[in-house]
Amino acid sequence: MNLRRRAAATRTGGAPHDLVAPRIGRSVLQVALALGLAYLLIGGTLTYWQVVRADALTLDPANPLVQAARQSTLPGRILDSRDTVLAKSVRLANGTVVRQYLADPSLGPLLGYRSAQFGTAGLEAAENGVLIGLSGQSEADLLLRKLQFQLYRPQDVVLGIDMRLQKDAEQLMGNRRGAVVAIDPSTGQILALVSSPGFDPNQVASPATGAAAFGHLSTDPASPLLDRATQGLFVPGSVFKLVTSIAGLGSGAITAQTTYPDQPAEEKTGFLVDGYRVIDGHHPFTDGTALDYTQALEVSCNIYFAHVGLAVGGPALVQWAARLGFGAPIPFDLPTAASQVTGGGGPLGGFKDQVELANAAYGQAEVLVTPLQMALVAAAIANGGVLMRPHLVIGTRDAAGTLHPVAPAPWRTVVDPVIASTIANAMQQAVEGAWGIPFAGLGKVPGVPTAGKTGTAQLGGTGEPHSWFVGFAPVQGARIAVAVLLERAGSGATEAAPLASRVMADYLALQQGGTP
Amino acid sequence: MNAIAPSPARQLGFAVRPRLRRRELALLAIVAGALVLGRASLASTLAGHLALGDLRLLGLYLGGIAAVHVAFVLTGRRSDQILLPTVALLGGISLLVMERLPQGLVVQRFVGHDLGLAQLQVGWLLLSLALLAVLAVVVRSDNWLRLYKYSWAAAGIALLLAVFVFGRDVNGAQLDLCLGPVCGQPSEPLKVILVVFLAGYLAENRELLAGASTRLGPLRLPPLPYLAPMLAMLGIALAVVGFQHDLGSALLYFAVFLFLLYIATARVSYVALGLLLFLAGSAVLYEIYPVVRLRVDIWLNPWSDPQGAGYQTLRALYALGTGGILGTGLGAGLPSVGATPAIPVIQSDFVFAAVAEEMGLLGALAVLACYLVIAERGLRIAATAQDDFRALLAAGLTLVVVVQAAIIVGGNIKLVPLTGITLPFVSYGGSSLVANALVVGLLLALSDRGVEPPPPPRPRRRVFGPGTAEGVA
Repeated sequence: MNLRRRAAATRTGGAPHDLVAPRIGRSVLQVALALGLAYLLIGGTLTYWQVVRADALTLDPANPLVQAARQSTLPGRILDSRDTVLAKSVRLANGTVVRQYLADPSLGPLLGYRSAQFGTAGLEAAENGVLIGLSGQSEADLLLRKLQFQLYRPQDVVLGIDMRLQKDAEQLMGNRRGAVVAIDPSTGQILALVSSPGFDPNQVASPATGAAAFGHLSTDPASPLLDRATQGLFVPGSVFKLVTSIAGLGSGAITAQTTYPDQPAEEKTGFLVDGYRVIDGHHPFTDGTALDYTQALEVSCNIYFAHVGLAVGGPALVQWAARLGFGAPIPFDLPTAASQVTGGGGPLGGFKDQVELANAAYGQAEVLVTPLQMALVAAAIANGGVLMRPHLVIGTRDAAGTLHPVAPAPWRTVVDPVIASTIANAMQQAVEGAWGIPFAGLGKVPGVPTAGKTGTAQLGGTGEPHSWFVGFAPVQGARIAVAVLLERAGSGATEAAPLASRVMADYLALQQGGTP
Repeated sequence: MNAIAPSPARQLGFAVRPRLRRRELALLAIVAGALVLGRASLASTLAGHLALGDLRLLGLYLGGIAAVHVAFVLTGRRSDQILLPTVALLGGISLLVMERLPQGLVVQRFVGHDLGLAQLQVGWLLLSLALLAVLAVVVRSDNWLRLYKYSWAAAGIALLLAVFVFGRDVNGAQLDLCLGPVCGQPSEPLKVILVVFLAGYLAENRELLAGASTRLGPLRLPPLPYLAPMLAMLGIALAVVGFQHDLGSALLYFAVFLFLLYIATARVSYVALGLLLFLAGSAVLYEIYPVVRLRVDIWLNPWSDPQGAGYQTLRALYALGTGGILGTGLGAGLPSVGATPAIPVIQSDFVFAAVAEEMGLLGALAVLACYLVIAERGLRIAATAQDDFRALLAAGLTLVVVVQAAIIVGGNIKLVPLTGITLPFVSYGGSSLVANALVVGLLLALSDRGVEPPPPPRPRRRVFGPGTAEGVA
């Protein structure tokens, strides 16, 4: 035996090993382990698709189940906070299902549309799963659904929008381009979301007019299909000084008492930053006064905030802005564009030099924001530094009429309450103070302490600037915060501020049972 | 010596003293209960109210299972008692899914009757059960496999060549061989033949393969001459399969080859070399064959062409997502596009996606668990086998089922590129069911503690090795 093995070994030219084959049991066990691992990997992947990605896959517009829903189910309604029906589906005599909307041009950008030809868009797309009844149900509901032989359980979607306020804001906009965002700072509930020009979603949803309307809307140079409130990016101008305030006071780079002794002189000559002159000069009445923080916000002093921005530094300014939601799309019921403090790529936290940083600190340079983002800045200050998660949908209502509310939740703690109160106080001075009235006085809600900040965003060239106002009322225990943007409409003081004042006043009146 | 003489029946090799199989019976009872419940669930969903539905096909199937169990009991088999219930559950799930799918997906005319999907499947299931039972009961010796490995290899190659010449195209791959009205996929029986050959050859030569090496200068390589016959056999199989574009089978053969080689030799270097060859081969195939490139590209990004190439992969993923944890329930999911199911070839290649949608993650994991049970039982049979041939045969048979399931399930869930092979015991189709029944029948026979002991080791025959240096030591 041994001889034969050795012969075999030498036959193949190998070293004279002892040719005893390994025990098979051992390698069988190793193969069993390998198979076990492979199946573990398969089970893990399966779990990923069926648990982690389940909702996204179920609601993908290309999922045949979603497409089949068009024929087999009536989608739920969309209601406002007072149960006004904004959208409902009806089955026509010929069996086709058509979506019908409350006829209002402000609803197009908000709700989107649901059309056999063009699919779904806006909130109709975002809430499609709940509306056609494939999501928004717990596992227990799903189990029950199996026993009730129903695949789709359409639910109504209830929005925090007050349609009276929405309509009011839309009418105040008139034919001007821009956006209004109103939010309850203490809950994050969106009260109105207007993008102008809008469109009546019935035009797109109706099979008769859909094709023509869609063609017209998509080629209109005013881009009515773009929701300016959540996806439009605009130069903010001076309203961005609120973000610089949060960064400066929050980081400790300044206090409310900080003054810059050179600032009065620089009002005349310009503030020289690396060879570039930051100019101001729109508040000559402060003359020789070295402004403190509150005064600087009251008169919207560019030079003061350029100093603050440089004191904070690029990376810190970007970080503080990120706390408010800058730098990434805001998690929201609708798709949102990411607001930015800088175009990025530079060495100073993205800023390419001190000049860009100084200009960004008062809202020029590469700063771009969505109106929703600016409403959140106001809301965070109004709510003592705590930013609530913004949300349009406040609940869903099932077929039995039971409301399943969406609980308000804090999203970010931006800054401590004392600092929030300092900024709120400065914003109140901006609206109500002797120096502030020429700038933001028209933002005042009659009879109610009001905080606010205007912005007049220079766009270069010869066009009119963007007109901004962000603010809230009442200053203590604010019930509404707004951001108003009017594209190329002129100064914030004369255009956006009075509109914002009306929106806030009307909402407070509505809450007390009045009419706008 | 015991005074009691063996009974005449014993001497014939047929122990006819009945022996109860309690564990198998208990497990089969649970399986039967689950399947009846499943059938009722399907009927209720379709009817919209609680209903029991048409139990005739399921009854036939359960009757077949019971008959197999009774045959084992009456012949006093001391074989494994877990395998039959596991396979019975998989086959039963297959029947439920086939009953749930549109019956028009597959229609064949048989003695003047048009038979639909579920009726055909129940026929194949019963045929497979019969084959399984016959093998498990009748096979008392393995000599017919052990001694004729080269004959089996020749038969396998002949089978493949026959497809090459007479084969019929299915979805761009040449897969089917028709004998009169009955068409089958030779790649399925071929996998069994391949395992028989590999087990025979490796059992005979494993000492050499494990211990010796070919010396080439300073390098010590595996004893190449002894690998040659296996590589040749495998190469022919892979080449022909490659020409027929049956990538799934090629992958399965290669994986089983590597696993068996490792079991026989415990040499990691073989596996590493094999994987290198596999990667190189895949790269070449990717360049040469558009079909391979397409499969890999879809795997990497099915969303690039959702209505075209990525269609079926995406549809399968949607099915997984819709199913979620609990599933939609039998009969409630799987939306149709027009009259056909949303997922193409749902009855064979994508049957796992169908199970995952309607029975959910829990059902899908249960199906996977069944294959792991088969793996555990089969490899246990291998580890406790009386000699190397039986060990390698049992391991190989187990692997063809379990690895095949992993390849197609992996393809369904976008873990690996999709290849068109069947899910053993669950997919529709006669070839697959029959071949896998063959596998389980042999495993059961191998597990029987009453079978004939293996023959004593025979003097080693000279194989393909070069004999030049013989006698030097």
